[in-house]
Amino acid sequence: MLPKKELLILEMLVSAGPMYGLQLVERSDGALKRGTVYVTLGRMESKGFVESEQETLDPAAIGLPRRIYRPTAQGERMLRAWATFTREVAWEVKP
Amino acid sequence: MTPGARLLKIARWFFNERFSATVVRPTIADLQSELAAAGPDRLKRLGARWRGYCAFWTLIFVSPFASWSEDRPHSGNGGVAVGAAVVTLLTVVTLGAWMVFVAAAGTLVAFLIHAWYERHPSEIAVPPDASGRSPQINFSSTDVAGNVGGLIFVVGSVLIVSVGVPSVLWFLLASTVAACFVAWGLAVRHTRARGEDWTSGGRPPRVLL
Repeated sequence: MLPKKELLILEMLVSAGPMYGLQLVERSDGALKRGTVYVTLGRMESKGFVESEQETLDPAAIGLPRRIYRPTAQGERMLRAWATFTREVAWEVKP
Repeated sequence: MTPGARLLKIARWFFNERFSATVVRPTIADLQSELAAAGPDRLKRLGARWRGYCAFWTLIFVSPFASWSEDRPHSGNGGVAVGAAVVTLLTVVTLGAWMVFVAAAGTLVAFLIHAWYERHPSEIAVPPDASGRSPQINFSSTDVAGNVGGLIFVVGSVLIVSVGVPSVLWFLLASTVAACFVAWGLAVRHTRARGEDWTSGGRPPRVLL
């Protein structure tokens, strides 16, 4: 079972390419929240669905570097498998 | 001071390095990048601060329930404390102000038991079939030592349940007193029948009191 938020994040990352957490929140139309998106991303990273790296900051920049997320091969396979599964289930239960 | 620096200091108290690196710092980095993007506009900066601080404090409250964080070392006494505080707050809001007394009584008993075991460390008697049992909220399945620490647990539990269900107060008190007599009788019988080393775990007789 792929949780709804993880599915949404994987879909966005696969379709639109690597993104920062805040970009994911902005593009999700309220489905993802700023306070919890990184917890979800951390869980997905520990499952091997996404990987992340810190952005390279300009030496003059003030503040912390953000993390950019991209889907792993496993994450993309999981998304394809999930899409196939839901399609098959939908076909089976179709009246 | 850099925006978010104080939040980072607070986060150090709650979270370990891994959780900070993967969750907390990106959240604060978002706050800082939004502030930088807001420029000199005070209203935009205020909005960015508000959203960033809301995200941070939401994170503080949800982190104890983040399942993937269980494998992190030093998973955080602070996290446990925040989780307990949140659960207590929700209980007080949903069940009423009297739950404050229940929570206070529970905390007091927990400290008493902890203080007792600090001074009198002993092994808890575990039944042979205890392996593989899942944790549960069930007084009859809770392993407690057969000493004063265990007695404190029993009396404390009775007091807490009595506050919640006052109608069973006398029943619980009478049951506790009767159980103490039965336990005392069993201890005396086993001691006489098997000598000093009367438990399967070889517990010395002094731990009874």
